[in-house]
Amino acid sequence: MSPQTDDVALSTTAERKVVVQSAGAQPDKDWVIVTRGLKREYDMGGEIVRALQGVDLAIRKNEYVAIMGPSGSGKSTLMNLIGCLDTPNGGEYWLSGQLVSTMKDDELARVRNKEIGFVFQTFNLLPRATALHNVELPLVYAGVGSAERKERAMEALTKVQLGDRAMHRPNELSGGQRQRVAIARALVNRPAILLADEPTGNLDSTTSEEIMRVFETLANTGQTVIMVTHEPDIAAHARRVVVLRDGKIASDERNQKVTSSLGL
Amino acid sequence: MKFFARVSMALEGVTIAFEAIRGNKVRAALTISGVAVGVFVVVTMAAAVHGIRESFQKDLDEFGATTFQINRRDPGNNQCTSPDDPCPDRKNPPVSLDELHAIQDLPEVASAVARIGNQGTMIYRDHQLKAVGYDAYTSDWIRTDRADISPGRSFTESEDQSAAQLIIVNDTLKSQLFGDSDPLGKEITLEGKPFTVIGVFHTKAGFLKTLNGTGPDNPRAIIPMMTAWRHLSVYKRGISVAVMPQPSVTRDEAMDAVTALLRSRRGIKPGANNSFYLVGEDRIMDIFNQFFGAIFLVGITLSGVGLLVGGVGVVAIMMISVTERTREIGVRKALGATSAIILWQFLVEAATLTTLGAAIGLVIGAVLSWLVKIYTPIPASIPPEAVLVALVAAAGTGILFGMMPAARAARMDPVESLRHE
Repeated sequence: MSPQTDDVALSTTAERKVVVQSAGAQPDKDWVIVTRGLKREYDMGGEIVRALQGVDLAIRKNEYVAIMGPSGSGKSTLMNLIGCLDTPNGGEYWLSGQLVSTMKDDELARVRNKEIGFVFQTFNLLPRATALHNVELPLVYAGVGSAERKERAMEALTKVQLGDRAMHRPNELSGGQRQRVAIARALVNRPAILLADEPTGNLDSTTSEEIMRVFETLANTGQTVIMVTHEPDIAAHARRVVVLRDGKIASDERNQKVTSSLGL
Repeated sequence: MKFFARVSMALEGVTIAFEAIRGNKVRAALTISGVAVGVFVVVTMAAAVHGIRESFQKDLDEFGATTFQINRRDPGNNQCTSPDDPCPDRKNPPVSLDELHAIQDLPEVASAVARIGNQGTMIYRDHQLKAVGYDAYTSDWIRTDRADISPGRSFTESEDQSAAQLIIVNDTLKSQLFGDSDPLGKEITLEGKPFTVIGVFHTKAGFLKTLNGTGPDNPRAIIPMMTAWRHLSVYKRGISVAVMPQPSVTRDEAMDAVTALLRSRRGIKPGANNSFYLVGEDRIMDIFNQFFGAIFLVGITLSGVGLLVGGVGVVAIMMISVTERTREIGVRKALGATSAIILWQFLVEAATLTTLGAAIGLVIGAVLSWLVKIYTPIPASIPPEAVLVALVAAAGTGILFGMMPAARAARMDPVESLRHE
């Protein structure tokens, strides 16, 4: 199945969707993410590529959002901006009430460390470090002392059922275990948002379901989760689906099926 | 940033460095070998010089910390070697025996002894030894040299005055001439003149004594000064005097007293130069340091070249390492590492590499110094400060040369480095 047909399938089953109203969103404690007219352009050898052309997006605390879109739709660019890895050319971005769109590199690094937990498609664990040490890294950069670091990293690993694998290196772990280590690493600093980029892209369907159950549990316990994916099966787990096309939001709707089954 | 967070990050850098070294053993070995060789050369050299110096110091201490010499010429000035040089020192008179007695009578002086060194052929029955070194001494020698005689005795002042043909031999000369038999009372021939053996003296080992042939391994003898003057052809202008001050008197006070005495006896006008040189232990040490300082400079230059080569190697390995780990840098940045942290991490890694090289160089140097100590007369020993200097210099080299690759890593864009395959 190609992403395009999936999008059509999602947007045509209109009875499942409720349009999300975020126009009145204010950058405060309730709204974790607020963007206004977010723009990002790249200069590709003289030719200007407009990857994002004014995105208004607001996400509340405890939401579980999937960002979808075909390749070239700007979803990766949006993810990089939301993740504070990149800065916009125009517009504003508030994260946890702070205006981050005008921050310098070092401030952004600190915001990433404190507010964002990344989960990548290719796991991105340090190959020569143990699972425990991988999970400790964000705490190292946060300046947490060694003893507390170990304790919190163990706690995070236990949360993803990998307490007994703490001293294993990534090459001694299965794909699903690696991704769970990555999730533990993303959570260890208690971030405002968990930002996952195609988290199941490198996993088989059984393992994918296992990882999605982890996200489900996290979302149910109050963790804000933002997931970038092109797979509708995966996006279907989210309670809200934002679809990007040509650098703009094409649709932004509640996933009725999930929300109604949860009794919301 | 908090201090302890910095330390924690530095340790993180050291851990990463060791992981990188483990991952690429051959490459790491080649990189650090330059530093290792540089450090090894200079440490071995420093060990030799340090050992010689220590031994020299020990020889001097044995001689007596406050004892000083009166020389005709400046021992530190080697300029006037050619007979054509206008060299005023050459006209200086030797210390006369009258002057020696006057010095001995000074209240500041405990004892003063004159010495002339020479060498000659010694014969006992069918044993003949050529070019045996001997010293002609006045009778006080036993006090300034802190000599140890057994069996037998030294000569007395009246025996010296009457030019008695008496000789004291050292252990080596004794065994070479007499073997195990009792040497006392035996008659030997020195330069064709008969001498009676009255004692055996012992010299403590010392590197310089070994080098200049006065150590216990070489045959050596002592005869009275007047005996040498009257019966043997010795170079009387080559006389030197060793002065041992009273225990309650400092060396400088004794030197002042001797200077005043010699100046007035020799009628030197105020403002005119002394016609003699007083040489204390410190002056001898100065001359020594001057000489070995030059050797040391060569060593520093050599190790500098080694460090430079090592430094260039560090740039190469770190550049490759940074490129290979582009993605890792991206991940670290995503997890909250600032540019400064990434810079610091790679600088620590570079410093770890070079410091490890220095440590290896130190170990090889220590082994070689130990071999030198065992198999040569040079009592090599590594000075502790050299260890510190080597490690600090190596770490500094790592940081200096690691700057460029580390800055490259620090500047990387997180988005692009995360995309890197």
